[in-house]
Amino acid sequence: MLLAPSLVFLGVFFVYPLVQAFGLSFLRPEGGLTAEHFQRMLGDTYFRGAITNSLLLTAIVVPIQVAIGLVIALLVNSRFRGHLWFLYICAIPLAISDLAAGLIWLSVFTERGYLNTLLHMVGAVREPLTYLSAEQPVWLYGAIIAAEVWRATAIVMIILLAGLQLIPRDYFETADVFGAGGWRKLWHVTLPLLRPSLQTALIIRTILAFQLFATVITLSGRQVPVLAGEAYFWYGLYRNPHVASAYAVLIMGVSVVITWVYLRVLRLREEEVAGG
Amino acid sequence: MRATTLVAVVLAAILLVTVPAAQTGPAVEITFTSTQFSPVHETEWARDTLFRAFETETGIRVRFISELAGPYMDRLQAEARAGRGSIDLTGTLHGDFPILVPAGVARDMAPVQADLARRGDRTFFPDLVRISQIGGTQAYVPWMQATYLIVAHKRAMAYFPRGSNPMAMTYDDLLEWGDAIKAATGTRRIGFPAGPGGLFGRFLHGYIYPSFTGSQVKRFKSPEAVEMWRYLRRLGGVLHPSSFLYSFMHEPLLLGEVWVAWDHTARLLPALRDRPDDFVVLPSPAGPRGRSFLSVIVGLTIPKTAPNADAAARLIEFLTRPRTQVLTVQGVAFFPTVREAAGAVPTGGMKLLAEGVTAQQGARDARVALLPVGLGVRTGEFVPLYVDTFREISVLGKPIEEVLAAQARKLEELYRAMNAMCPPPDPAITPCKPD
Repeated sequence: MLLAPSLVFLGVFFVYPLVQAFGLSFLRPEGGLTAEHFQRMLGDTYFRGAITNSLLLTAIVVPIQVAIGLVIALLVNSRFRGHLWFLYICAIPLAISDLAAGLIWLSVFTERGYLNTLLHMVGAVREPLTYLSAEQPVWLYGAIIAAEVWRATAIVMIILLAGLQLIPRDYFETADVFGAGGWRKLWHVTLPLLRPSLQTALIIRTILAFQLFATVITLSGRQVPVLAGEAYFWYGLYRNPHVASAYAVLIMGVSVVITWVYLRVLRLREEEVAGG
Repeated sequence: MRATTLVAVVLAAILLVTVPAAQTGPAVEITFTSTQFSPVHETEWARDTLFRAFETETGIRVRFISELAGPYMDRLQAEARAGRGSIDLTGTLHGDFPILVPAGVARDMAPVQADLARRGDRTFFPDLVRISQIGGTQAYVPWMQATYLIVAHKRAMAYFPRGSNPMAMTYDDLLEWGDAIKAATGTRRIGFPAGPGGLFGRFLHGYIYPSFTGSQVKRFKSPEAVEMWRYLRRLGGVLHPSSFLYSFMHEPLLLGEVWVAWDHTARLLPALRDRPDDFVVLPSPAGPRGRSFLSVIVGLTIPKTAPNADAAARLIEFLTRPRTQVLTVQGVAFFPTVREAAGAVPTGGMKLLAEGVTAQQGARDARVALLPVGLGVRTGEFVPLYVDTFREISVLGKPIEEVLAAQARKLEELYRAMNAMCPPPDPAITPCKPD
């Protein structure tokens, strides 16, 4: 009985839309099963770019976020003077939506933006440079990565910090007794015990990375198509909920596979550690 | 005994609080949804100026909701299917009505139109009333009109090709102009709203296509069209590379990123209003087949499920009143649909815009194109077909003939599936088919 509210919540807001999305992507408007919506998705001029970009951005952004998130979490956990202030400042992007984050970075990288103003002030450039253009793919990608890393590292950091604080002090004291240095403690004590939190952070960030689109659209338009963005365009622009749902189902499929891989890979190693 | 007293006291208190509130509160609130006025400054203007004036006059409050095309259509259709709704009035593009009418959303607006005519204070342009007849009913009351123009910074005029008249600009002039700016300054200063929220697709199907080929659909892959796409590739060399980010051209114009911009009148107005002395307004260019431009019509309709249809009709009366129409053109650069308002003399930035519109409409080689109709639920696929063609040819550099042949097949399938007629200036063929 106590589970009922959450079951109803999940049913109404998750299961029902999920079933509908599957229905929209596999059914003809006039009834009957069809693969036509998926064929249209596969044949779309943006499809190949969208899947490449989504995978590439996830592969670049998530490791950077986990690395930086871990460093910040370790720093905060070392409880240096003013560590709380440092934590609050690092957590600010948590409260900012992806669209707003995109706009903030747009104001940095646009031709009349802060970056060009700064470069102009120090005399590095005479004419403003254009960064956000398909002719400068490295800059364009770089801007998106910078915006994403800035925006979503905080969530990784918070999860890892919570994990760090759960590790009992005894382990470190024992390590001290055996004369382990800082690096050895990090490698042999902290990281293995942090594995459950790392797993959670990786799963959450990877799934969210596949849903990413507002930041990308703000900074690149449709020059860097991504999967979630294409779902949005097929729904809002082409007004075709069927192909939009096909994209949504694809995103879900990719997310499920990656989550499964994380669960398997990280759990196996946990057992190894426990056994060794 | 004590319990009954308590209940009585509570009931009395509730009555005391609620009855006067019900008497003095706003009599009616109507819900008005629209795909228009979506930029924030337009929404603000509509709420703070337009609907406030209506509320002061009638005591009817307007809850205005500006929505993206997708959710907007879904909501109207869902209410029609449910047979029960909360939307009292809705205003959208002419091209959306061929979906709304068969979906059973829009009621016949002929009685409302007749009431307005009886007032004798406004004369709707007859051709607008004529095209508002869809599927045997009057689908909407014509509300506003708009078009697309070029706004140029005065400093760009120094580079305009000598010997050509800016008010009768051709597509060759535009390219030469961009080249001259690039040669002199090393930068590309012509901009189009080719971002995700921009209206570049309208430029492709309603402006350059008919200007080069004389048609929007029929001559889609003709030799003239191939020539046009070659031209667009050359034009790409002078376009500001950030064009793919722009949704509203007034922003890059005011920032100075772009010196020459083509866009919807309402999306250029903020630049002209902020700095009317810095800019000039020019008609869209002419090609070998004339100066084609789109006439955009926005109509008002009362859904069949509207809870407050009478109050909605009063808002229609207010919105199409000549004085309100002048207010609208001054505020957000949507032009009147009634003759009495068309004569009003605008001021400031609006004056520039009005002159540009007149120059475009009055040009000797002017050629009006209309938004496609009859594509029903698949209307949304039309414009992206052109934008995707642009991406494949100009951005990805694929061979023109091949891309056009492939895209023409999609266009043909779309028109055949929906059995739709070619949009003017194409000949009235059903179903429309690229040659």
